[in-house]
Amino acid sequence: MNATTRPGFKARSDAALANPTLKTAIDRTTGTAERKRAAALAGFAEYEPARSRGSAIKDHVIANLDHYLEMFERNATASGAEVHWAATDSEACDIVIRLCREAGAKRVTRSKSMLGEEIGLPDALGSAGIERVETDLAEHIIQLAGEHPSHIIWPAMHRTREQVAELFNADHKPPPADDEAASMVQSARHVLRGKFLSADVGISGANFLIADTGATCTVTNEGNAELTTTPPRVHIVTAGIEKLVPSTSHAMALLRLLVRSATGGELTQYTTFHCGPKRPGDADGPEKMHIVLVDNGRSEMIANEFRDMLRCIRCGACMNHCVVYRQIGGHAYGGTYPGPMGAVLTPVLDGLAQSRDLPFACTMNGRCAEVCPVEIPLPTLLRAWRGRSWRAGLEGATMRAGLAAWAGLARRPGLYRMASGIGVRALRLLGRSGWIGSLPFAGGWTRHRDLPGPTGGTFMERYKAERGKRSEDRR
Amino acid sequence: MRTRDSILSAIRTGLGGSRNDPAAIAAEAAELLAAPETIRPPLVAATPVDAFCEKSEALGTTLDRIGSIDEVPASIGRYVESHGLSTEIAVESAALFRDMDWGEIRPRLAVAPDAPAAVGLARHGIAESGSLVIHSCKETRILLAFLPLHHIVVLRAASIVSHLEDYAALLVGHETSPRNAVLITGPSGTTDIEGSYVRGAHGPGFVHVILVFDA
Repeated sequence: MNATTRPGFKARSDAALANPTLKTAIDRTTGTAERKRAAALAGFAEYEPARSRGSAIKDHVIANLDHYLEMFERNATASGAEVHWAATDSEACDIVIRLCREAGAKRVTRSKSMLGEEIGLPDALGSAGIERVETDLAEHIIQLAGEHPSHIIWPAMHRTREQVAELFNADHKPPPADDEAASMVQSARHVLRGKFLSADVGISGANFLIADTGATCTVTNEGNAELTTTPPRVHIVTAGIEKLVPSTSHAMALLRLLVRSATGGELTQYTTFHCGPKRPGDADGPEKMHIVLVDNGRSEMIANEFRDMLRCIRCGACMNHCVVYRQIGGHAYGGTYPGPMGAVLTPVLDGLAQSRDLPFACTMNGRCAEVCPVEIPLPTLLRAWRGRSWRAGLEGATMRAGLAAWAGLARRPGLYRMASGIGVRALRLLGRSGWIGSLPFAGGWTRHRDLPGPTGGTFMERYKAERGKRSEDRR
Repeated sequence: MRTRDSILSAIRTGLGGSRNDPAAIAAEAAELLAAPETIRPPLVAATPVDAFCEKSEALGTTLDRIGSIDEVPASIGRYVESHGLSTEIAVESAALFRDMDWGEIRPRLAVAPDAPAAVGLARHGIAESGSLVIHSCKETRILLAFLPLHHIVVLRAASIVSHLEDYAALLVGHETSPRNAVLITGPSGTTDIEGSYVRGAHGPGFVHVILVFDA
């Protein structure tokens, strides 16, 4: 994804904060997601051991990734599927487009896949002149709006019901009966039904690749994955190489974590294992199945400080619980993946120079790591990017001068105490009402919120006072 | 092949050092499945069948319990009548259904894209989650479980397994696992518009299980 042609992160988040309906839309969905996840975990007493086990399964796979990739390739090939390898996003798209052309595809249906978004498949299909039909309801909404997903589980969560109704009224014939969610879902069901059955190729992602059977696993609530992969002549899967698990049983252990963390359900309505093309005599199914294994920066992460990120199972809990995401939404992040996991992955995919702001768009409150079902230390990884950004000289002159000044003070305790003493008194003057509404040189901080005024003196003043009191008590 | 080899070699370089032999990897993978009861929820009822029923109903799946496979047509009749559906209904071509006395019901093999209802057979039920399992094969069309608005599923109580791993274990050792194994857990639904739940997104809005206790 090309970030240079778009406004910077600060401009995007300013626009997001100024959008009057965005906050409402984000709150409606993330609020529900947070409540449902909490309820699901309250009913799963074994969650903590399950979570440690899930992390261990993913670590085991990554530590033996070459072994499992070869095992998967062997078994998938034996099932009759054809396995392809792509080192980069453009290589992956080229393979998919070539396969579509070989199949003489005019129309392809697509079941939501974040990997597909990551490699830019929607645009690649468009450039190749192939009609693309998004079948996930949210992807259908954003296809009509000409947008990219703003969340990895609810790609259209930035749109309110009223805005969706507008899109459907303009596109669906006949339009939905009214703008209630139920009527709009009915309308999409009706419009997409014919397209499912007339597609030449169906493209899906994979939540898991099962090494010992060669099957790929999809999870959906709508049933669109099976309607995408069954009727067409060809089924193409695009999947990241980190999606492997040793066996179906290992996938089951991870599914319990994935679904509870993502939607608060116990299992999605449809969990499907796809193992090769139609067998002789099968009543239905595609004649060909292709699996495109995509690296796109993943193999590099094995050896660097971002290896833990390869555990990610794409549940979206980190963004649902992120105070920054809940203010600015997904589009402001500017990459395929938003929120905390996106702030770690986007610099890998788009380069740190393009996305330097993302690791800084974080309060380090640690909620993302707390809710992560595979124990990814997201704040630590974000800090690692901040370090890299500093070492690469990507920080601006103001930041460098500011940090140099602070470092100079911190090395001189007397001067530091004097400066902080002046600072705290100045802040107290500004914040006589208890809150500071505007602060010289820090307008960026106070433009969108008030800063609480200091209630006491500096840390050292309070420390000394406290110590004096204690030694008096002892006497 | 060049890309494949360069990806694998990048992974091996990244992992560094001496590599585990396949037997050691398999042993470690097996160890990661040890003591499954410590990482999964217990059943919500004393028996797998009761737990399956409780979970199914919580998902919005409806149930009819019958004592013999011969009662299937009558059970279907009750369902279509209570929902005002036609007695002409798509039925899977399973051997079990072929010689059945269908009575009022007029079974059809074809399932229309907007079929109001269809009858299928599940291989298994999973008590932990209230899931139904279907496998693609000569007799089972996967689309039969996705096109209709009402999916009526015949399930033998004896084929209900306890947990997800118990089902996964059944796939191991088979010559090949089926092309499609689908776990159906309640009616199709979506929360894509403002997070509010709506039934019947693309798949069936209604799932009805005819549970056969014929031991």
